[in-house]
Formats: sequence, C-alpha cells, structure tokens
Amino acid sequence: MISIARVALIQVLRRKTYWVLLGMGLAQFIMFWSVIYAVTQLELPQPVKQNILREFGFSAQMDEQRDNGYMVFMERQSVVVMILLAFSGSLLVGSDFRQRTLPFYLSRRIGKRHYIAGKLLAVSSLILFLTVLPALSLFVEYGAFTSGWSYWKENWRIPVAVLAYGGVLCLVNSVWLVSLSAYLQRAAPIAITWSSLLIMPGRLGEYLWKASDNEYWRLLDPWRDMRLIGQLFFGKFRKDFDRDLAWWALALIAAITIVAFVALVRRVRAVDVVE
Amino acid sequence: MLTPLNQMSRKELSLVLLDLQKLSRHFGSVQALREVTLRLDTGTIGLVGNNGAGKSTLLKILLGLLPPSSGSGTILGCDIRQTGLQLRGRIGYMPEAAATVPLLKGVEYVALSGDLYGMPFRDARRRAHEVLNYVGLGELRYRRLDEYSAGNLQRLKLAAALVHDPELLLLDEPTNGLDPAGRMSMLRLLEDLIAETGKSLILCTHLLKDVERLCKQVVVLHQGTIAKSGPIEEMTRAAENRYEVHWRDANSDFLSRFCRSGGTVLHQGEVSEAMALVALPETWQARQLFELAAQCGTVVTRLREDDEDLERLFMRLTAKQTTGTQELTA
Repeated sequence: MISIARVALIQVLRRKTYWVLLGMGLAQFIMFWSVIYAVTQLELPQPVKQNILREFGFSAQMDEQRDNGYMVFMERQSVVVMILLAFSGSLLVGSDFRQRTLPFYLSRRIGKRHYIAGKLLAVSSLILFLTVLPALSLFVEYGAFTSGWSYWKENWRIPVAVLAYGGVLCLVNSVWLVSLSAYLQRAAPIAITWSSLLIMPGRLGEYLWKASDNEYWRLLDPWRDMRLIGQLFFGKFRKDFDRDLAWWALALIAAITIVAFVALVRRVRAVDVVE
Repeated sequence: MLTPLNQMSRKELSLVLLDLQKLSRHFGSVQALREVTLRLDTGTIGLVGNNGAGKSTLLKILLGLLPPSSGSGTILGCDIRQTGLQLRGRIGYMPEAAATVPLLKGVEYVALSGDLYGMPFRDARRRAHEVLNYVGLGELRYRRLDEYSAGNLQRLKLAAALVHDPELLLLDEPTNGLDPAGRMSMLRLLEDLIAETGKSLILCTHLLKDVERLCKQVVVLHQGTIAKSGPIEEMTRAAENRYEVHWRDANSDFLSRFCRSGGTVLHQGEVSEAMALVALPETWQARQLFELAAQCGTVVTRLREDDEDLERLFMRLTAKQTTGTQELTA
C-alpha cells in the first residue's frame, strides 16, 4: 500500500508541469508565513496589524474573529489542490486502466483493497502536503513567534480542527478523484468532469437559491459544502444559518463519497486481471 | 484414473505442480470452464487454446484471483479457493499487456514489483538490480519505461515477475508483438532461465512453436474443457503410426475395408483425389496398406508419414471437437 503511494508521488514529482502548481501552493504558504512573521515580529502600528490579519482572515485567538486564518489558508490551498488533482488523476489512476497496469498490481501479493487504499493514500498525501502540513506549520510558526505558553493552551483546538478538516479533504477528494479517474481514465475528460463537478452544481445551486430564497439549494455546491464542514470543525461560521447547513453538507458529502467508493470497488474487480 | 493426492508419497506430492478436480466456472449463463480435471507435474507447461477456450479464466483461478464456481484444486500445494495472496507470493506473473507505470525507471518498476510481492524495500531494490542484469537490461535500468523497446519491455516484465524468486512462472504471451529477432532473443532467455534455475513455468500463448521449443508438457483447452494434456513428446510420438494416404477411385471400398481391418480414419477429405489421414493397426506396416489397396482394385498415389507437430495436433483436436459439438447440437 505504501509502495503504491510512494510510486504515485514519484510520478507526480517527475512531471515538470505539476511543479507550477506545487510552486503556487508554496507561494501561498510563504505569503501566509510572511503575514504571521510581519504581525508578530515587525514593529507595525496596531491598526496596520489588524488590517493585515483581517485581510487574511487571521486570528490565532479563535473567539476574536469570525474567520480563522488556518481555515482560510486551507480553503485557498484547496484551489491549487483541485487543479493539481484534476490533471494528475489520469497519471495516478487512469493510466493503470488504460495501459492495463492493473494486472501488474493485482497479480502481485496484494488484493484490490490494498490497491485502492494505496491510490487513496497517494492522492491524500498530495492533499496532506499541500494543505494540512503547511497549515500545521503556520500554527507552529505563530506559536513560536508568540511568547509564553498561553497561545498553545488557548488554541489547542486549532491543530485538531486542521487535522479533522484535512482528513475530510483527503478522504473526500481522494475517493472522488480515484473513482472518477478509474472510469474516465484520460486526462482531458477527467479534468473537464472534475472541474464541472466542483463548479457547475454550485452555479446551479446559487441560481436556485436566489430564485427561491431557499438556502438549502446552496448545498448543491460541493466545494462550499466542504468549506462548511471545515467551519464545523473550526467552530466558526460566516452566518448563523451555516451551522444548520453544515450538518446537511456533511451528510450529503458522506453519501456521495460512499456512492463513489462503491463504484470504485466495483470498477477495480479482480476478474479484470487477466484479459 | 488419477491417484488421489492423499494416497501419494511425499516425494510424489512434491512433483505435483497443480491438481484440479472437476473445476468449473461460469459467468452468468456462460460456462467458461466445464469440470476440468487436470494434474500436472512440475516442469514447463504450455497452455494453449483458441480465443474463448477458457485460458484466461483458468489463469485467473491459478493466480487465486477468481474462485471456481464448483470443483476444487491445489497449485503448489495451496488450495486455490483459500490462499489467493499467499499463492501469488509464490508465483511470478508476466502479463500480456504493456502494464507499465508512467514516468518510472526500469529499476524502480522491478523494485515496485518486489515491494508488492512483500519484499523489504532494500531487498527489493537490490534484487531488482540483480534480475535486470540477468535479463540483459543492466545498462538500461535507469531509463524511463516509455523509452524501452517492445522487446526490452517484455524482458523488463519478466524481471518484474522474477524479482521475488518465485517457484512458478506464469507467462502470458511473452513473445507477443515482438519482431523475429526479438522473439528469438526472448525464447533464448527463457530457455536459459529454465535450464539454469529449473523453475516451473506455465506458458500461455497462441504461438505453438514457442510451446514446442520451451515446454515439456502441454494442455490444450477447447470450449472450456481439456481437449488433451500431457507430455508433448508422447503426443507427437503417437503420430508415428499415422499416415496421410491419397488414392484413386474415391468410390472404392478401400477405406471401409481398412476400418474393418482395425485401422482408424482420423480425417477424410478430397482434393483432386481421395485422401485420408489414417492410423494403422499396431501390427501393420505401410506395405500392408498398399496390399489392401491392390485387393480393392485401387492405386495408392501418395503415402507419407504424418509428421504431426503441435500445431497440427492442436488444429485436429479443436476441429474434431468443434465438429462433434456441432453434431450434438444438430
């Protein structure tokens, strides 16, 4: 399982065009890192510090502001992750079906559950390296630049929330992407469908919401649903009604993920091994 | 009648590579394998059959990937119904398809295979270098897979199947898609491998010449059943008393009298004159066939020993059984 994930990461790192996306993720991380450094280490007037923090949705104190910088960072990184996943699905999973590499894997001493777990772990690792680990290191940076233990005591929930939200992002995105790639296989159809799935239902939901004034239509937006789930973990909502929607979002995302997982298991049938 | 496994000595048991008892597999209404009973000793075995004969299904069952619908069996002493993962650890499988992992280097591909067979990472990596040298890809080990030629890719897949030193190699069309030179080179490599390591090998192919060259035993599958199995030498030796005979006057009772004398007509046809493939009675010589023709008032125009090779044997077996099936259907 780990060897499948390791090889998948090697594949992604060997494709030079993906370095652009990885670079974008790194640039965003450096920007947030610099913000924390600026507000904690530089002698700036307090209003300037507040403006910078507000601009990036930052507050190490969870009760001070509506948003939390770590969640904002993860949401913004998700854009890079989604684009990276859209293009890497074909390389990581689609090629196994297209070039009949599945027999190579399944005829070894592994079962289809190991294969599926390996591929999910590979996609999850990409998400982990781009969202969760940088968010955690930002949390550590903020704490390291803050004198005293009070920061760690008061904000212990932040790393827990980062891990929980990151876990959801990893699980949901990996299952969706691997399933989609197993069926569509080629890069262009995967990228188009992946983008459409994340954007089109959201647009439709927004239109229906405005037309009917029913907030529940907004649940059609999977990206927003994942953000709501993130807000559920961080305990911070932009609107009070979002708290109710978050649980529906969780149920909806869980249902779609289960369906996608079942479809994936059916696709990776051992009977396809010798064609 | 096969001796039951529980009545065999330990030494005899160690020689049994696979033992299948009334093995069947169906997919819905399609019967892929019908009550296959087969025992093969360790060694080199060719598995041949037309498309749809049941080769793939049998391979899946042998790899422990597909349970049989009914029947039982063992391979390398493992129950095929219960020991899928354990079994695959003892078998090296070389798939027919390209089965490459994009952007990977040769040595990484083989090491990955070792990892997937359960070898520790360091051992897999070290062994990958060894087997790549063995199959003649030592110089190319750091090239990416998309830079390998078809011949080298086949060697690479062989290295990936050999990396964990399996007891049995299962090769699916190893010379498929290779040019004549590449094919010869691959066959030489396999011959050396068999000679040097003494590994058992099941070669699944459409190229019967490859089977003749590499294998001692053959299994001919046809329409889900075993049309014939056994040592190739014995099968072809059985053709020693067989002749292709041509004679004038197709209306004479030459053939019917030949049959009454104890001969067997294997195949009958007519080109420009009467022709038949016949098996003489055990006590007969070719001379007696001429005598019989003379008694029937006809002239044998041509007589030649039936030098049936595996290809002709295969054609005869599959053609005969197809005809038989058609007759039954009618």
